[in-house]
Amino acid sequence: MKTFAELNFPGRLVAVEGLDGSGKSTQIYLLKRWLEAEGIKVYFSSWNSSELVKSATSKGKKRELLTPTTFSLIHATDFADRYERHLLPLLRAGYIVLCDRYVFTAFARDVTRGCPPDWVRGIYSFAAKPDLTMFFKTDLEVSLNRILEGRPKLKFFEAGMDLRLSSDPYESFRIFQGRILEQYMAMSEEFNFVVMDANQPVEKQQTIVRKLVGDRIDLSKFKRRSPLPLPPSFPLDPAKEAEEDMAA
Amino acid sequence: MKTDSAPAKKSRKFFGHGIQRVKLEDLAGKLIVVEGADGSGRSTQIARLVEWLETCGHATVQVGLKRSTLVSSELEKAQEGNILSRTTLSLFYATDFADQLENIILPALKAGFIVLADRYIYTLMARDMVRGMDEAWLKNVYGIALEPDAVFYLSLEPEELVQRNLSKSAALDYWESGMDLGLSRDMFDSFVKYQAAMQGAFRRLQKTYDFTIVDANRSVDSVTKQLRKEIRALLDGE
Repeated sequence: MKTFAELNFPGRLVAVEGLDGSGKSTQIYLLKRWLEAEGIKVYFSSWNSSELVKSATSKGKKRELLTPTTFSLIHATDFADRYERHLLPLLRAGYIVLCDRYVFTAFARDVTRGCPPDWVRGIYSFAAKPDLTMFFKTDLEVSLNRILEGRPKLKFFEAGMDLRLSSDPYESFRIFQGRILEQYMAMSEEFNFVVMDANQPVEKQQTIVRKLVGDRIDLSKFKRRSPLPLPPSFPLDPAKEAEEDMAA
Repeated sequence: MKTDSAPAKKSRKFFGHGIQRVKLEDLAGKLIVVEGADGSGRSTQIARLVEWLETCGHATVQVGLKRSTLVSSELEKAQEGNILSRTTLSLFYATDFADQLENIILPALKAGFIVLADRYIYTLMARDMVRGMDEAWLKNVYGIALEPDAVFYLSLEPEELVQRNLSKSAALDYWESGMDLGLSRDMFDSFVKYQAAMQGAFRRLQKTYDFTIVDANRSVDSVTKQLRKEIRALLDGE
């Protein structure tokens, strides 16, 4: 698995992984705010899939139609859609793309569901490796409590109910998350995860995140310059130009 | 290329990893696949086989592409708009296949039915190969599939296919003409080129996956006769 840098993409991809409730989404959001303030060409991939794929996925989930195999394949379809339609063009255009979850979520989840690891990895082999993957590691109890504290209504697949681990959704979720964490840890070294101590305060973690990103990626190369040349028929907008210049 | 020999009795297996927790020895039925382009007489032959098999007292089930509960309507729409890129579309089809495999094919075989598949993984792989997808990647994805008991590929020259399609509906299908590939802006040209490429892909696949090539450039009755003969041999081989 080669990184985008190794494949000579002008852009870079930073991914965060971790259990639900590990605080990874907060960290990547703060990272995005910082990069924006620095005038960097950054894009946060909000995991929007096309309506069609989304419609099939939600139907499968609502009607509990999915088996481990179709669960895996439909999520791979969803990922491929985002990857080809969204991530690749941005990376070709020289963006720093931030991803809240990447293929490793699928590796951990699908293997926990009983899919053969090499089959799952083979399916996702079209995807390049992130230039930096941060894994937010909390104690299992901490992340479980963050999620379960509010007694949310856990969805069938989210709680891993299809695995018949327990008839109680909360108990099922605990066991399921524990197994996913094991899968994450088992692949941590293979995919060069930078393991972050997510039990620390938000600010302290963010300082580490920003330093890490700055060390790994030459951010000066990703600064926004003047706006792209506009087609001749399009009148120039001086106000907008000034805005862009200030950002750079 | 073998054209006439009866398919030898095979032991049940998946192409790759297969589906977890399936007991292969429980799959008592038979899986028979009919492959071929639109206009090769596939549907006609399958309809005839069903009638014949049921008359002989066999229970049958039919499956085909884009027929899953899970994604068929979405796939239909995706094709209409041609909005999905190739890996996405490929995985969408794989999902459709997997859904039918687990929910229809395997249970029916377990119940001792004869499952007639109107196209199988071969068409899906050939289409993707023609579109430049990696063959090893496709083999991994479709490692979930069960090896059929018999596969019949109804082979017809592109020039004859074009005639049959036009005489049937007076129009050529966008996807069956491979228009998404940009081979030619002329639909007739594109159809002929695309179908020739598909045949090439099938020939490549035939080297790995054993299937019987049936010359479809004959009367419907004569093709039916050959299919019946081979299927009877398969069923008698018990």
